[in-house]
Amino acid sequence: MQENKLYKYSSSPHVKAKRTTRQIMVRVCIALIPALIMGIIYFGYMAAVLVALSTLSAIASEFIYLLITKNDFKSILKQFDFTSCVTGMLIGLSIGVQTPVYVPIFASVFAIIVVKMLFGGTGKNLVNPAVTGRIFAFISFTAVMTGGWVAPAIGSLVGASSINPSTGATILTNMFDAENGGMPMVSNLDLLLGTGVTGCIGETCKVALILGGIYLAIDGIINILYPMIYVGVAGLFAVALGGFDFALFLPSILSGGLMFGAIFMATDYTTSPNTMLGNVIYFVLLGLITTGLRVATGIETVSFAILLMNLFVPLIDKFVLHKPFGYVKTKKVKENKNG
Amino acid sequence: MSIRKGKNYPYGIHVKDMKELCSNSPIEVMPSPDTVYLCMSQHIGAPANPVVAVGDKVKKGQLVGEASGPVSANVYSSICGEVVAIEDIVNGLGQKQKYVVVKNDGSNEEVLFPEIENRLPPALIERIRLAGIVGLGGAGFPTAVKLTPKSQLDCLIINGAECEPYLNCDYRLMLERTDDIYKGIKYVAKALNVKNIILGIEENKPKAIEAFKIYEDLDVVILKKQYPMGSEKHLIYCTTGRKVPVGKMPFDVGVCVQNIKTMIACYEAIDLNKPLTETVMTVSGYGINTPKNIKLALGTPFTDVTDFCGGMKDGAIKLVAGGPMMGKALVGLNHYSRKTDSGLLVLVDGETNVSQPTNCINCAKCAKNCPMRLMPMYIESYALAGDFVNAKKYGAMNCLECGSCAYNCPAKRSLVQSISMAKNKIRELKI
Repeated sequence: MQENKLYKYSSSPHVKAKRTTRQIMVRVCIALIPALIMGIIYFGYMAAVLVALSTLSAIASEFIYLLITKNDFKSILKQFDFTSCVTGMLIGLSIGVQTPVYVPIFASVFAIIVVKMLFGGTGKNLVNPAVTGRIFAFISFTAVMTGGWVAPAIGSLVGASSINPSTGATILTNMFDAENGGMPMVSNLDLLLGTGVTGCIGETCKVALILGGIYLAIDGIINILYPMIYVGVAGLFAVALGGFDFALFLPSILSGGLMFGAIFMATDYTTSPNTMLGNVIYFVLLGLITTGLRVATGIETVSFAILLMNLFVPLIDKFVLHKPFGYVKTKKVKENKNG
Repeated sequence: MSIRKGKNYPYGIHVKDMKELCSNSPIEVMPSPDTVYLCMSQHIGAPANPVVAVGDKVKKGQLVGEASGPVSANVYSSICGEVVAIEDIVNGLGQKQKYVVVKNDGSNEEVLFPEIENRLPPALIERIRLAGIVGLGGAGFPTAVKLTPKSQLDCLIINGAECEPYLNCDYRLMLERTDDIYKGIKYVAKALNVKNIILGIEENKPKAIEAFKIYEDLDVVILKKQYPMGSEKHLIYCTTGRKVPVGKMPFDVGVCVQNIKTMIACYEAIDLNKPLTETVMTVSGYGINTPKNIKLALGTPFTDVTDFCGGMKDGAIKLVAGGPMMGKALVGLNHYSRKTDSGLLVLVDGETNVSQPTNCINCAKCAKNCPMRLMPMYIESYALAGDFVNAKKYGAMNCLECGSCAYNCPAKRSLVQSISMAKNKIRELKI
């Protein structure tokens, strides 16, 4: 009876919630599936090939990096937390279907090896790997990334502009173009559904993205408030810059990669602030920078805005902290007395 | 007075409460064990000094360890028998402590205190001190010290929240010994000279709330089911709206918080003239055959306790003294019940989490849930880096070690362990 069996010893708490990092990341992958399906419907099998290539090369580069550094295969498999899968999917979904197959591979390898693993792996990266990988590809292969957009298989429902396929950026350029009367050329319904709109594989169908976002919000993985702040502020700032023409609100929030970036890229845990107030600051600034850059440059700037704001996150986290329960504002007075 | 709802406190977590395992089983009295191991250090403060020698005959209720300072507590023999050893024993927590070992002789002789002549506050406090009563909720702070505050208090709060999962002992006591608890509360209120008595009960214990309805002068407050509602500071906030300032104690806001079991001990010491020799605890978890609430002699070996509860199942992988959130894991069954133990949990795989920590992903769930509004991830990383100055700056000393942060951590990091280490280091190095 009185055996000398030793039991597991650890500090409290002895019960923990079931959710793990891996489960969270798998759920993010699931949330991206509607966007992927719509991408395949609109842009054909090549969309699937590109996403698969970027995802596989992201996972493979993480494995290879870990194998080279120290780990044995079994422990890598045990530790594999699907973050690289999310990164790969995001990169695949944020490129156009006309892109040559080597581009997503380069982008994924760069994102995982340089942006993530060299900084210490999951949770240690300073900037979002997917965003940075996309920008790396964008800058390195500008011609193939931005030219030759392919029109989706399903044409415009409204039929207004099917002759002139336009990216989010061109819509925005048109918006502030006096010759067009400040009005976009694509209807809001088309922008929402992605019909007749060219763009990156995963970002044209906003309904699919919103669906994924709602799933993540219901599951408690992201706070739906934050993407809403981002999108709302970006839209309102566009309205303000366009001379308070509220007709600009919907086109500007529904065009380009704004939704995609707001729901899936900006909400990345590692590269967003740790407090509620910090997050509000972060997402408001993101909205302002995104629209500001869009208007100033005429190109799609969501990923640049996110990259830029990622770098400010440590600063936000340094100064925006919770006040402890029962906090009393006498600390400074005391310090002065001592000094 | 009345029944009212407590204030909401937005931060904290919702834990699966698992109380159904034995919330309906009445408290069973466990027969006296063959041998008891009386720890001389069952409280916060200086250990008691043994006042018996090996070979002495002791009766139940006879003093064996005398309080060795103002913050210390007497220890009484919980059975009648012979002292067979006074030695340092390594207990299940891995601590080496002085124990007085008493072998049962089967007779049931008991010594009691004399009747209290005048029931005035000083006499009541003296009796509570003499009886060796400490905060039985887990902290083990000598109650008599708590009852002699520096300034006059205006509010006594009784903690009936029992927010720890699994544990049912306070709940069962509230149902079965309602009147005794009430008498104990009245004595303590008299000792403190306060009129305003608040009893906070979590909303998942409607029967207990019902039971205390009949007392006119108790202000029963229904608290949200939330962890850690039973934490002193949060209980004070939710029942009175007062915030205990950072680094201050409840008496700084005119409040004294007492535990349900402590009230029963006070009642027994004052009305029944009994010293504190027994405790009530919950034995639960999926690793024990029959989860029970039991009343047992202090110093009972946990092997006897598990036998009384039908033995352990093979799958048991973890033993916890206390609740699962704040209790301490035991290395083995070589542990002996102490005043502050309110539970013994035998957990199986799947019930308890033994996974290895992975990298922090900065999800900030710990900061979101922290009831003290700290930033656990920063404290942890500073603590692990050995930078205790910064750990303190981020509020390490305010941590309750309630485990809300680590409970929800998707990376399964041992946040409480690191923060607790930082606290010890800060105290040690006097940063």
